[in-house]
Amino acid sequence: MLRKNPTLRHILGRAAWYFVTFLVAVTVNFFLPRLGDANPIDAILAKTNAGDSAGAREKEEAYLRQFGLAEVDAQGKVIRTADGKPVRTGLGKQFVSYLGLTLQGDLGTSFLQFPKPVSEIIKDALPWTLCLQLPTIIFGWLVGNLLGALAAYKRGVFDRIIYPLALLVSAVPAFCVGILMVYYFGIKLEWFPAVGGYDAGTTPELSADFVSSAAYYYVMPFLSIFMIVVGGQSIGMRSMVIYELGTDYVKYAKLLGIKENKILLYTFRNAMLPQLTGLALALGAMVGGALITEIIFSYPGLGMAILTAIQGNDYPVITGCTLLITVCVLVANFSVDILVGFLDPRIRAAQAAGTQ
Amino acid sequence: MELVKGLFKIPAFLLGLFLFGATLALAFLGPIVFHVDVSTRVGDPYMAPSGAHWLGTDHLGIDMLSMLVMGLRASLYVGFLAGVVATIVGTLIGVYGGYKGGLLDDILTVLTNLFLVIPTLIVLILLSSSMDKGRSLTLIALIIGGTTWTWSARAVRAQSSSLRARDHVALARINGFSTLEIVLEQILPYLLSYIFMVFILQTATAILTEATISMLGLGPYDSISLGKILNDAKTNEALIGGKWWAFMPAMVLVTVIAFSLYVINTAMEGVFNPRLRK
Amino acid sequence: MTVSAPARPLEQAAPGPAPKPAKSNAVLEVDDLRVHYVTRFGHKIQAVDGVTFSLKQGEILGIAGESGCGKTTLVSGCMGLYIPPLFHTSGDVRIDGKSIVGMTLEQNRKEVLGQKIAMIPQGALNSLNPTRKIKDMAADMILSHDESADKKSINDRLRERFTRIGLDADHVLNSYPVELPAGTKQRCVIGISTLLNPKVVVADEPTSALDVSTQKAVIKLLFELMDQEIISSMLFITHELPLLRHVSSSIAVMYAGQFVEYGTTEQVIFEGRQPYSRALMGSMLSAEPGQKSRKPVAIEGAPPKLDKPIPGCRFAERCPVAQPDCKTTEQVLRVVAGRQVRCKYADTEVIEQVGGGL
Repeated sequence: MLRKNPTLRHILGRAAWYFVTFLVAVTVNFFLPRLGDANPIDAILAKTNAGDSAGAREKEEAYLRQFGLAEVDAQGKVIRTADGKPVRTGLGKQFVSYLGLTLQGDLGTSFLQFPKPVSEIIKDALPWTLCLQLPTIIFGWLVGNLLGALAAYKRGVFDRIIYPLALLVSAVPAFCVGILMVYYFGIKLEWFPAVGGYDAGTTPELSADFVSSAAYYYVMPFLSIFMIVVGGQSIGMRSMVIYELGTDYVKYAKLLGIKENKILLYTFRNAMLPQLTGLALALGAMVGGALITEIIFSYPGLGMAILTAIQGNDYPVITGCTLLITVCVLVANFSVDILVGFLDPRIRAAQAAGTQ
Repeated sequence: MELVKGLFKIPAFLLGLFLFGATLALAFLGPIVFHVDVSTRVGDPYMAPSGAHWLGTDHLGIDMLSMLVMGLRASLYVGFLAGVVATIVGTLIGVYGGYKGGLLDDILTVLTNLFLVIPTLIVLILLSSSMDKGRSLTLIALIIGGTTWTWSARAVRAQSSSLRARDHVALARINGFSTLEIVLEQILPYLLSYIFMVFILQTATAILTEATISMLGLGPYDSISLGKILNDAKTNEALIGGKWWAFMPAMVLVTVIAFSLYVINTAMEGVFNPRLRK
Repeated sequence: MTVSAPARPLEQAAPGPAPKPAKSNAVLEVDDLRVHYVTRFGHKIQAVDGVTFSLKQGEILGIAGESGCGKTTLVSGCMGLYIPPLFHTSGDVRIDGKSIVGMTLEQNRKEVLGQKIAMIPQGALNSLNPTRKIKDMAADMILSHDESADKKSINDRLRERFTRIGLDADHVLNSYPVELPAGTKQRCVIGISTLLNPKVVVADEPTSALDVSTQKAVIKLLFELMDQEIISSMLFITHELPLLRHVSSSIAVMYAGQFVEYGTTEQVIFEGRQPYSRALMGSMLSAEPGQKSRKPVAIEGAPPKLDKPIPGCRFAERCPVAQPDCKTTEQVLRVVAGRQVRCKYADTEVIEQVGGGL
């Protein structure tokens, strides 16, 4: 069956690749923070050890057990050496248990908001991030490519305005756009709220009140990210279309007397394909930029979750969030990969020929 | 050489060069021209700009202009060093992979793609968060350089791969030159202009990345950088308080540097890449 | 590298002097055509400076000359493809008696391109849209000229035509270019170009990127199409002597925007009467097997820039037998020994000094 169906082979092949990447990401996620000098857990333990002996002991036990740092006997009690020091589990063992737990969806417990599980913190923040980033990036990509294509085709005044503008916008760092918007539209002109995801007075629920409030707070972060994506995409698409307009097949189509509109369709479609591939590559950066924007607007998404975690040295939350973001980016990449495989006959032909 | 002369005729290139030169001037001549002092409190926190202090003071009462100049120097340093590291690593991987092909190329490509797909910001966050007190400017530069090379590796590899098919390279191979010799004498010379453009982009990216990472609070521990200035502004609510001198200048500087480098790169691309020549 | 064309009865069209008004079976008439283009610095380059010829039914005119002599611009002019920075200066081009000069680009697109005169491009292999099936691109072409064509008739037409040119229609039409071998793609391009039975087909170096056997197949196909009266006549641009010799019925040698010699194949190749033409044929001929003893005549120097009017003979700078008055006397085309030549000394022994086709 696999031999006969190159498309399926392609999908499975890419899926396998992405799974491997996922494993690498998890490994990286685990080991990188532990490369540093100080073990943050010890710092916290040191805090708890100062104070009442029995209470401190209990807390220490709880921490050690919770974070899988010490060897535990059959009853679940921490094994200690002769002088009462807990027997620490090796890094390798920690990693294996981390891997196991992660695949089950257990991302550990927060330090800062102990004993709140990390997955809960993420669950609160994730919807905000998804609602903000997903539509913005998709919509921005579409609009950006359209503008870039038009600029390349029309040239003239249109191009002379769009191109430098896009260049400027894409050179301005993500957070700068955000900061500028907060400052001018939020503080000075007071057209839109400067911080937050919703009015502090309302509660998060599915009521008209809340939704309209959230929408109001949505506008600026949306525009921020949107403008940057549009800027970047339009420049890329413009170059692609300029290139396609100079190809042999366009020349030939003109010689044949094929209609202008048809030729344009050819160029745009062909230029879109590398743009899609480019999207897959740029997703990581786009998401990063969007997270910073969230932070600037104090939008209650993953960005703020990470920021708070970093400020409080809350490692489980940091690693939990980073892992989740990586997974999201991988999933998005995978989807775009498959999509391009369907749309571009050249890739399908390569699959069929077995020259993957 | 003809091409380089043509470069100087492009207004965009000159603009970019001018802007970048201006920031360099500020960084290097600043301490000579202005009185730069980042350790003394010269007034109240967040004093507005005045004749004595052109950009007012920051949240500790330190002269903002001094902070800006020192921050600029630090950011430029980090950007430049990271750019160099990223370009070298990326070029090495790209050139060898592209030229050699085969298994080596496959392995390097897999490695590059891995780094490419996993968001750089994530890796940076993970690495930096663990090095709490050790985060020096150099370390940050090395980290940024070590994680952002993927783009240049890919770009250089494509160029190197296409060069492999050229006659003079095949000739050298037949004549028994070693890989190193071929790479140095037959391939790199053709890629020099390209690598230079890559370097410019990497530096721009590095400066932006440093600012981003500092905004997250993972910036240099003991030094000032432009990103750190912005982070301080946010955490100390200068943004909300409308105290523009605390973040605008730093922001403008970061933007100007990145923009000027992009413009220089685009101008160079227009000259060196015949396909884009109108 | 020789290409032998199948023996076929060609109307040996003897090109005469200045063309008479459109009558007889003249398919393409070019009347003192001048075409210029404008550089980005505003200079006007007269790339085609007074070309006159007529192409009769069944005639294959080969155009030879170095790069930059204006062949491609001439062809663009013949097709009416005046896309800036290319502009029509003066002169007339008539296809089937009807002038195509002065049309709007849209008119030209609809009525002329592909319909009356079609081009088989140089880089044929890359000329097919990689993301479009062959049948779709071909259908686009038909629809662009005849909006009312319905799907079924288009498909039938395509299938019939592609089978006629020796392809497995069902497979090829439903394939993407990347799935087809080079030779098949070449045939597809020829098939698509001649889909609307254009009167004149222009082939711009059609065999330059191909291997020998594919070249043979392409030439054979072109002849078959002429036999089947799908195409009437051809304009052939090439550097290759064997093609000129075996395919064209007449040859025009072009230099610096003008014809310097225009006559039958035999006349021009073996009895050239213009120094440049002789030298060109000589240098091309020496590459043929059986001609190894012949020394190639190197033509040194470069053709003149065409941004200013040039006094006297344009080839005088490089001519090995240039006479004192060549640089000052304007050269016009005149009839010498049955063909048109642009040289004052064409009928003197001076010419014999240039190693020619003899």
